Amino acid sequence: MRKLFNTLSVIFVFGATTLMAQSPKGTYGTFALTNASIQTVTKGVIQQGTVIITDGKISAVGTNITPPSGATVIDCKGKWIYPGMIDGGTTLGLSEVNSDPRTRDFNEVGDVIPQIRAITAVNPNSVLIPVTRVSGVTTVIAAPVGDLMPGTAALVNLHGYTPDQMFAGFEGVVLYFPNTGRKGFLDRRTPEEIRKGVEKAMEKLNETWDMAVQYHKLDSATKNSRYYPEMQALIPVVRGERALMVEANTSKDILAAIKWVSDRKVKKVILTGVAEGWRVAADIAKAKLPVIAGPVLALPTREYDRYDKPYANAGLMRKAGVTVALRTQQTENVRNLPFNAGFAAAYGLGQEEALRAVTIVPAELFGVADKLGSIEVGKQATLFVSDGDPFETKTNILQVFIGGWQMPMVSRQTLLYDEFLKREPGAKK
Amino acid sequence: MKNPCRSSGSALFLTLISILAITFSLCAQDVRNLPPVSRSYAITKVTVFQGPGRKLDNATVLVRDGVIAAVGQNLAVPADAVIVKGDSLYVYAGFIDGLSRVAVNKPKEETREKQKDPGNPAPEAAGITPYVDVRALLNPVEKSIEEWRSLGFTVGQVVPYGGMLPGRGALIYYNGEATDKMVLNPTAGLYSELTPAERMYPATILGVLAKWKELYRQATYAKSYGGVYAANKSGLEVPESDRILEAFYPVIDKQIPVIFKAEKSLDAQRVLALKSQLGFNLTIAELKEGWDLIPSLKSNAKIFLSLELPEEKKDDKGKVDAEKKKDEQAMFPDSVEFKALEKRRDDFIALYAGQAAAYQKAGVSFGFSTLSAKPKDVKGNLKRMIKAGLSEDAALAALTTNAAQALGVGDRLGTIDNGKIANLVISRRPYFDDKSKVVYVFIAGKLYKVNATPEKAEADKKKEKP
Amino acid sequence: MKYMLTKALLRILIAGFTAMVITVSLYAQNTGTVLIKGGTVITVTKGTLENTDVLVRDGKIAQIGKSIAAPANSTTIDATGMFVMPGIIDAHSHAALDAINEATSPVTSEVYTGEVLNPFEIGIYRALGGGVTTIHAMHGSANAIGGECETIKLRYGVKDANALRMEGAPRTIKFALGENPTRVHGGGSNILPRTRMGVEFVIREAFAKAKEYSAAWDKYNKDKTQKGFRGAPPAYSIRLETLSEILKGNIIIHCHSYRADEIYSILKICKEYGIKRIVFQHVNEGFKVAPELAEYGAMASVFADWWAYKFEVYYSTAYNAAILTRNGVVTSINSDDGELMRHLYHEAGKTQKYGNLSDEEALSLITINPAKQLGIESRVGSLEVGKEGDIAIFKGHPLSVYAIPMITIVDGIVRFDRQKDADDMRVMIDPKEPLDAVNIETNTDLSDNCMKDAEEVFYNLFELK
Repeated sequence: MRKLFNTLSVIFVFGATTLMAQSPKGTYGTFALTNASIQTVTKGVIQQGTVIITDGKISAVGTNITPPSGATVIDCKGKWIYPGMIDGGTTLGLSEVNSDPRTRDFNEVGDVIPQIRAITAVNPNSVLIPVTRVSGVTTVIAAPVGDLMPGTAALVNLHGYTPDQMFAGFEGVVLYFPNTGRKGFLDRRTPEEIRKGVEKAMEKLNETWDMAVQYHKLDSATKNSRYYPEMQALIPVVRGERALMVEANTSKDILAAIKWVSDRKVKKVILTGVAEGWRVAADIAKAKLPVIAGPVLALPTREYDRYDKPYANAGLMRKAGVTVALRTQQTENVRNLPFNAGFAAAYGLGQEEALRAVTIVPAELFGVADKLGSIEVGKQATLFVSDGDPFETKTNILQVFIGGWQMPMVSRQTLLYDEFLKREPGAKK
Repeated sequence: MKNPCRSSGSALFLTLISILAITFSLCAQDVRNLPPVSRSYAITKVTVFQGPGRKLDNATVLVRDGVIAAVGQNLAVPADAVIVKGDSLYVYAGFIDGLSRVAVNKPKEETREKQKDPGNPAPEAAGITPYVDVRALLNPVEKSIEEWRSLGFTVGQVVPYGGMLPGRGALIYYNGEATDKMVLNPTAGLYSELTPAERMYPATILGVLAKWKELYRQATYAKSYGGVYAANKSGLEVPESDRILEAFYPVIDKQIPVIFKAEKSLDAQRVLALKSQLGFNLTIAELKEGWDLIPSLKSNAKIFLSLELPEEKKDDKGKVDAEKKKDEQAMFPDSVEFKALEKRRDDFIALYAGQAAAYQKAGVSFGFSTLSAKPKDVKGNLKRMIKAGLSEDAALAALTTNAAQALGVGDRLGTIDNGKIANLVISRRPYFDDKSKVVYVFIAGKLYKVNATPEKAEADKKKEKP
Repeated sequence: MKYMLTKALLRILIAGFTAMVITVSLYAQNTGTVLIKGGTVITVTKGTLENTDVLVRDGKIAQIGKSIAAPANSTTIDATGMFVMPGIIDAHSHAALDAINEATSPVTSEVYTGEVLNPFEIGIYRALGGGVTTIHAMHGSANAIGGECETIKLRYGVKDANALRMEGAPRTIKFALGENPTRVHGGGSNILPRTRMGVEFVIREAFAKAKEYSAAWDKYNKDKTQKGFRGAPPAYSIRLETLSEILKGNIIIHCHSYRADEIYSILKICKEYGIKRIVFQHVNEGFKVAPELAEYGAMASVFADWWAYKFEVYYSTAYNAAILTRNGVVTSINSDDGELMRHLYHEAGKTQKYGNLSDEEALSLITINPAKQLGIESRVGSLEVGKEGDIAIFKGHPLSVYAIPMITIVDGIVRFDRQKDADDMRVMIDPKEPLDAVNIETNTDLSDNCMKDAEEVFYNLFELK
């Protein structure tokens, strides 16, 4: 019995340290980040500047600022401060190990299920989250994936113990616009099958939208409509209170989507994916639709397309006047958002626009620019300190704050590094 | 429809007409074929292409007992000969198809059971049946025989359906006679394709190539040991009987070639690599993408180029499908890009059409094969090849002399010379003319009248369908 | 071509086989002469030289120095302000292949990717656009013992599949452990192996049988030399023949693996059978047994940061390459993927973020180290006089995220030129392919590039990577 107790206590202690080691706590308080080069994004770069974090917010930004008494002062000499990066499209938190269906929570049954909400299933304890946030990506769209209307996406900050603590103030209904392209090499449909599939999906989409409009009218008139979760989820879209995030990638689908939202006078629309956006950049600009483009690190969609088109896509669209945000469409490697931005920058978007595309532009698209996307007084203290340009591959992120919480700069990946760089025992025990 | 015989002023015996006509009739089973009144024919006053570039005007061809008895001007017509009046007709040696499945029964689609161990399937399930003899699969009333004969094809190398090693091919007459009477050369070659098995070994071309080499080498060992055993059996283990390996023996002895279907450039390259490692005699057939392969093929294989070509882009002829046009614009908002892509595609279509001309230019002999071609397209495709630079003589050689030589029957077929098998194509207007039409075909001295062109047969078929 | 014949001959000799061998060659090997002026030359093995010229003559690096005069009939490239580095080598790729997995059997050492090369694949050009010049075109990971692989050079534009081969490169073979072979054979076909124990046994058994096979043939070949011998030859098997070549040390094993335990168990088998040359591929948990790998002399070819796409890579770290390197394991960074292959220079750069490797160490991961793993380090992998003229020219330092590959040269021939190349670089066009074929591959297609959607219907298994 005693033996068993000992064993149990060993397991308990071991388990507890492991748990602690894997999930150290964040720290809340007043912080003064001093002597930094501050990339505000919206108001230029401040050299030798200070950022004060109080009550979760940025309370002061500038030079000649004296840290308040009791503040934890972090000397950022030679370091940079950036607003936290925002990934405009991921499945982070909705999937843990992609090949295991039991851990995949982004693809529910049904083709018109806007009432299915990502925010209900974002796992705050995903091992993937600390791995992501220590890279300076602080905020992501977690989006359902599927056919037609697979659910409602949510913007979440990568810190918190409940989905509500993580929620960053935006939800959008996802629409996968009927796709005329082929979905990878496993898609063995004939062109005719694809065409028929698109036709059928378009019918369903039109019918759904018509119903949503009717439902909205009834609801407005009676103020008391019956339970109809799909339609209730679409009402805010019809009323322009919630964005429709329209995934369209081939030039043909993008044009069709533009026409569709214009014909139906959908009020808030964000185009996502837009892999072939460069082909129809002028049309997108003319329609004044913003895009969340990506992944940038992707292959051309057609065999004969120039090899660098996926890298150049964001820049070409921006040049045509399109509002461009970026995304990785990743789960475990959302941490590569800065590299996607870096490639887009190198291939035509430019560093400044690329930075905007992962900070203030998505914040504005999601209606949270009062909280996120730049280093400005009054905004949430969601930012990071780096030893250089965050897009540059070798740059290290040194500090990350999310909503004023100082994040522990560890993840399972750094812990494994610490343990195994010099393994004890080595080859000889 | 005008009767070509009458319009050409010819007055064939009525009996003949009726005999011939019923061959094609839908209710053929109700009608008995009458034997011809004579096995001797005189085709008179015709223009004879004895062979490529050997033209003889106003000549007579005498056929007797299945062979060509005489060709020449001012020949006396024997008293027992049926006269085929050939004023304004043109006579060619019967065409030869290098690879086809004409008259070959297609196996019924079986619902295959999932293999218990997909790595060790039964050979026949995996498409390894090199012992199959195509003669056992011949069907004299198979409907495409007549379609191809109507185009002038009189002989073809036919092969079984199947996977990587479907069986042995045979050279057959397109005569629709009883099975054995169709056969000219019973063992033309071992037929093979780089076709994987479905969901069992070899499931990819990787496995097919490995399996091929392994079987060949195993056969070589087995054959060699079989020889040792036969010489003196005492004290030796009895060699296992193995139909699969034994099927390779005549290949190893170079009595027969391996006939490989190779449409794409890479297929042909892979087949050449097999040959280079194993050393068998190779016939490559149904080649479509072979314009870059001339140097490596010319001394390594007998070659049959495919008579199938990719469709030419049809001009809109003013009739623009508005929907299609809109689609195109959406896929290619940049019309310059679209035109450039179209041009590149058309350039490649031109390479396909120009393949035969390229081989001719390089002085490399080739025949034609039709395995994947539709009868209705063949003449048009020949014309496209000629337009792309193939000479009519070279086209004729590919259809006749070259094919005969490649198939080892150059002494029996391919030209209209005394003593050769009487396989003839008789057309109104020269064969390669736009409006030419095959009116008679002789196969081994037997006369067939051609009723309808394949184009028309196709059109009729369509009309029948509501 | 030469290599292939060598290989074929080898097999013939081993088996005591005599067959006529005919040389088939479509094109003579193309090499070129090119002078690259005034760049920053990163030799990888011998330092970085500012404002230096590199002369490639007839496909070989002839001179590295200042103010080299252009020989007659040479191309001159002005690389002022640019970075000149050895062509990138990818030790794990499935590009340029018409088939990847003969997934029907747990052991398929008889198959050989070198026989199914596809020089027309646009992926080859796209990789050149990322500075890659040599790749290891591998069999997939469906089988415990997959097929032989081929080391190829990206001579895009050739139409002869043989012209892609890196002639004389050592033979290599793919092994695979863990989830993939157990899912395909145990899970898919209900045959051995269904577990990692089974994988270990399948490999052990294959080696044991190969040993017997080899002995039987040795005996037969010896007996045959005796006058009057009339015995039957042993059953001929390419599968066992290839395996016995591994035992003889003539083939380098490249073993797809993830978990520390399975890596270790294969090391033990290798030790038992005296197999010295083994490279572990992916090897996400290689860092956990880095001391053992280093001690054995086994090498590691890893992803920079891929993880969590399946369970056996859940306990991974992007610091893997750095830990392995610091423990003395010869390590490379590979792609296993047509997209990743386009920015291996960037992947290598990640080891500076994750583990502080120096520029030279980071660049070694995609040049000289993969060359060592493929046994071609005397020919490629660094800029040294006498080595082959495979060179990548970058605008910006290749480890920077803003680096842009400008020109890629193979054997002294420019195969990629960002400024001069047309948009449409297809070599062979199938007119039957519709013009508007668009492929929208997204990251959420659950892609595990080692084995795409293995749980789909059985036939999909045959294209597993």
